[in-house]
Amino acid sequence: MSGAPPPAIEVHDLTVSYHAKPVLWDIDVEIPAGQLVGVVGPNGAGKSTLLRAILGLVRPASGWVRIDGEPRRRGRHGCGYVPQRESVDWDFPVDVLDVVLMGTYGNLGWFRRPGRRERERAMHALEQVGMQDLARRQIAELSGGQQQRVFLARALAQDAPVYLMDEPFSGVDAATEAAIFEVLRTLRAAGRTVVVVHHDLQTVEEYFDHVLLLNLRLVAAGPIRDTFTRENLLATYGGRLTLLDEAAEAVRRGSVDTTAWRPPPDGAS
Amino acid sequence: MIPVEYNTAVVLLGTAALGLAAGSTGSLALLRGRALLSDALAHATLPGICLAFLLTGSRSHPALLLGALATGALGVVLVAALSRRGRIKEDAAIGAVLACFFGAGIALSGAIQRRSPDAAQAGLDGFLLGQPAGMLLSEALTIAGVAVATLLLVALLAKEWKLVCFDPDFAAIEGWPVRLLDLLLMLLITTTVVLALPAVGVVLAAAILIIPATAARLWVDRLVPMLILASSFGVLASVTGTLLSARFPALPTGPLIVLAAGCLFLISLLVSPRRGIVARATAERRRRRERERRRLLGTIFTEQEAAPESPVSEGALARRRVWGPGRLRAHLEDARRRGWIRWGPRGIELTDAGRQRAARIVRASRIWEQYLLSQAQIDRDLIDLDAEEIGHLLPPHLVAELERSLADRGLLPLGSEGSPA
Ligand SMILES: Nc1ncnc2c1ncn2[C@@H]1O[C@H](COP(=O)(O)OP(=O)(O)OP(=O)(O)O)[C@@H](O)[C@H]1O
Ligand SMILES: [Mg+2]
Repeated sequence: MSGAPPPAIEVHDLTVSYHAKPVLWDIDVEIPAGQLVGVVGPNGAGKSTLLRAILGLVRPASGWVRIDGEPRRRGRHGCGYVPQRESVDWDFPVDVLDVVLMGTYGNLGWFRRPGRRERERAMHALEQVGMQDLARRQIAELSGGQQQRVFLARALAQDAPVYLMDEPFSGVDAATEAAIFEVLRTLRAAGRTVVVVHHDLQTVEEYFDHVLLLNLRLVAAGPIRDTFTRENLLATYGGRLTLLDEAAEAVRRGSVDTTAWRPPPDGAS
Repeated sequence: MIPVEYNTAVVLLGTAALGLAAGSTGSLALLRGRALLSDALAHATLPGICLAFLLTGSRSHPALLLGALATGALGVVLVAALSRRGRIKEDAAIGAVLACFFGAGIALSGAIQRRSPDAAQAGLDGFLLGQPAGMLLSEALTIAGVAVATLLLVALLAKEWKLVCFDPDFAAIEGWPVRLLDLLLMLLITTTVVLALPAVGVVLAAAILIIPATAARLWVDRLVPMLILASSFGVLASVTGTLLSARFPALPTGPLIVLAAGCLFLISLLVSPRRGIVARATAERRRRRERERRRLLGTIFTEQEAAPESPVSEGALARRRVWGPGRLRAHLEDARRRGWIRWGPRGIELTDAGRQRAARIVRASRIWEQYLLSQAQIDRDLIDLDAEEIGHLLPPHLVAELERSLADRGLLPLGSEGSPA
């Protein structure tokens, strides 16, 4: 074998369908280790489904996934996950620290309660996202951006080699966005692979090293410079030309515009 | 201690143990979104009870409860099958299964009644609304044993169930057998419901799982306290209902237990310190009154700022049209009692204490205003318009900057902290 490390995530021939309707079609991609990877595509493109298939939460019609060159394992060697915020009930009777501690359960195993070591790890994760002062806050009393950061802290507490995040930047203010991005960079510096579903085309180039353009099938994947091009974006976003041209224009300019362009919702074209 | 007869003591033991188990199990059922399902489960036990009676001809509890378990579980499996992959919405599936099974049960029990009226009267009717009065010591001890086992299991698996109830996807990724944990929880719910049948009956069995748990949730915000409180409520309701029905034998025990739980829930809804209706209304009223006070002081302060030489007249305040004349008078009187204003010879004057507070209020509101105007990105979580002290909410350098720009335009209230003496 050559010295090249195996890809962090290898997806082969992956097809996922809900009933008869395909949602992901024959996806074949390798995600290199130690990079920040953006997953971009219009609404309904299957971005969340791709993450969930990699995590083993949906059963593919065909194909397989490998993490670090091996079939997916769980717990200690599994994946860190930041789900979309809306996926849980925020009126659940737990506080912020409880949620972050859930990231340590995998290492803890059956029946054992989190102890001081776990609490320290959770507090450290909370510090990284700037939430240490809210550790004892009831989760129902958090703002959207704070909820997002709690999920991020829980993922950090998992201490996984690979992280998958579903729109961690959605609905957060600029300060939180900067804080989250800082955490992502720290993870990369520590050699972790971070895959992020992202909606804001304006910031893709700034944030990521590598990009997956997805719309049912994989339109393109590779380093930002070669892959995040106007043609590929056109192919990904299809007929939404005018809006897309604005985006492409922004991409070309390396825009500094602060009003983020977002793809239109499904069916807007 | 209230002296109780032996029979009542046995029933007390049984129902209290039932309440203990139902509180914890019910809390988990509630948090996993299984409250409605446990009701369907309870109703689905009726045909099983009738069939068991028809098959065995016996009225002994073990046989009938085994029948109950069978069709109850069948109902749950049916709901799961119907609602899998979103074929049918779960609540619709639950409604359909509940009604069909219960209907079948009623029809069966009608048929039994016609064939052997006395047997049915004694055995089956009790299962509809519960009839714990005839509980045997062995039955009470069985319930107590199951209750202890339930509590042990919940204590053992609290962490795992917490995770699965809060975020099942995350649990699955972390390698927890979500299905197994769910199945175990469903078994626990089923056992509790079936045990509750002789005491509170098919129709009300789910209530003693759901109501104490819902009431407990109103008081506490963490899982373990909720489990403990819900179990305590369960015991309290059971004991109350049982004692009442021992005192007034015409009243049936099962419904009284549920009614007692309902009263606990109602009381919780009214008076729980954070989520209770009274607490919320009081807090809101207090906030509003405090806001009015601040507004009055701020208004007097700005009036005086505009014309420092002349005291503020009540008429000038009335012209602001913020308060009707009666309210204004009441607010002014309140402020005077608190030592913030006094009636001078020509109108209203702020006392020293009043002036200081008013300056703080005006300063805070102007800084917030300035903050909203000047910042491109606003962290809403930081803003608290009721706060008179801003120092801990905004970074100090930002406050200093905002103050400077206010001072430049002569808008920084004199006499407030941080301003030039
Ligand atoms: N549980 C489900 N049952 C049926 N169809 C589903 C289900 N979940 C998703 N889909 C469909 O699969 C497609 C892809 O969904 P997915 O959530 O992966 O898209 P996405 O790229 O994450 O979209 P968004 O940008 O809106 O988050 C959509 O067309 C959606 O309607
Ligand atoms: Mg999505």
